[in-house]
Amino acid sequence: MADGTRTLLVGDGPLAAGLHDGLVHRGHVVAQVVPVGADGGTDIGAGIDAGIGAGVSLIGPPDLVVHVPQVPAGPVALVDQTTQQWVEACEAPMAEAFAVARACRPHLSDGARLVWVLPTVAMGGAAGYVGSAAASEGIRALAKSAARQWGPDGLTTAVLAVAPELAFPPDTGAGARTSAATTLTGPALGGPGDAFGDIAPLLDLLADPAARFMTGATLVADGGVWMAP
Amino acid sequence: MSPDLAPGDQLLEGRVVLVTGGASGLGLGMATAMAAHGAAVVLACRRPETGEPAAVQLREAGHDVRCVRCDVASADDLRAAVEATVTAHGRLDCMVHNAIAPTLGPTRIQDVAQDHWDAMMATAIRATFEGARAAHPHLREAGGSMILMTSAAGMEGSASLPVYAMVKAAQRTLAKGLAAEWGADGIRVNCIAPVALTPAMERAYGENPVLHERLLERTPLGRIGDPLDDVGPVAVFLASEMARFITGQTLCVDGGGFLGL
Repeated sequence: MADGTRTLLVGDGPLAAGLHDGLVHRGHVVAQVVPVGADGGTDIGAGIDAGIGAGVSLIGPPDLVVHVPQVPAGPVALVDQTTQQWVEACEAPMAEAFAVARACRPHLSDGARLVWVLPTVAMGGAAGYVGSAAASEGIRALAKSAARQWGPDGLTTAVLAVAPELAFPPDTGAGARTSAATTLTGPALGGPGDAFGDIAPLLDLLADPAARFMTGATLVADGGVWMAP
Repeated sequence: MSPDLAPGDQLLEGRVVLVTGGASGLGLGMATAMAAHGAAVVLACRRPETGEPAAVQLREAGHDVRCVRCDVASADDLRAAVEATVTAHGRLDCMVHNAIAPTLGPTRIQDVAQDHWDAMMATAIRATFEGARAAHPHLREAGGSMILMTSAAGMEGSASLPVYAMVKAAQRTLAKGLAAEWGADGIRVNCIAPVALTPAMERAYGENPVLHERLLERTPLGRIGDPLDDVGPVAVFLASEMARFITGQTLCVDGGGFLGL
């Protein structure tokens, strides 16, 4: 897409940082919003409105909104989790995604797109990340529902599914273990890629008007691990 | 039990099943089918005034069925229902989590109320977590299984029910993750994605008069399913030894309405 794409990036952590830098590098005007209450809140209401509003006041009505939901710090088996850990891993990211959709909707006009960047465990599940994977799949369904509701207004959505190595904290090794559980042969392209050089360009592609007839779909960019269906 | 069974054999003889939301609709249909296949069934019901008559009716038909009060939004209630089942029958072979809060009518994303969100999360997502934790040691001891209810809405999204679509999608991947975690314990976890004529579906027809016709148009088998005769046998199958090598899967029981898997 041409320089000057107004992008609202909602999220925190290494993946969001890499996407931020990659989008800026490609000429996007980016406002990054770090969700308040990303510690396990389940508010779908006004909690995120102020951040979205502040971002919009900086860059104007966004052409592209990108949400990178929070992920847990490390793997924990479901039966070993406390209720609070479960809420933080599963319910809070879903609430955050829903809140982002609601809060940004009034600022989106014909041609704008909302994209969620999620780990591929959304589709396949993951031991140790049962709640996080479930939340990701729930958010994928939200992308589809929003596409169906907002399509008549010229708004589109998408999911960009990335390797777990990019989404989960790298120091735990959990992403690599999850990918290894998905494939017998490893990534076809040799690795999980990186946010700056491999994923941000795809967000740029999704923001391009040439992609306007694609909505509600999931684009998998994990180096060739998840290929189903 | 050997999977080499003859027609008419009781697939769940000696098994114990707990069904949440078992007082009516899909829950009662599955519970009835499982009881008819020899299972001792406990109906976990938020309103015993509807669950108990259902249990009485099934007992009068010769089945081993009882009702316990359980609001699945309460972790304490879920734990108590599991413990009551094990106390009564000595084991738990299958937990079916079917209960969910009412879906309301068509709702725009921007109009969803916090209390609706909270109710859907509590009954579909939190209850799966709390129910799974409570049932796990007993399912492991029995080499049992868990069945979650999902929906095509969770796989293709829904223009009218966005929160329902989210929680049903989440439950489906939750089943996959649990299947991965619990496989080593000998526990299977699967999903059923049904379309059946239930009180909830009848309410949906009332809210959306063209829904029935639209569903029929997309259903190759040309009718809406029956909770007992169409969905029930699939629950029996998944809980039985016949399905011993199936886990993490979703079976669409919808007459072919959703062909996207």
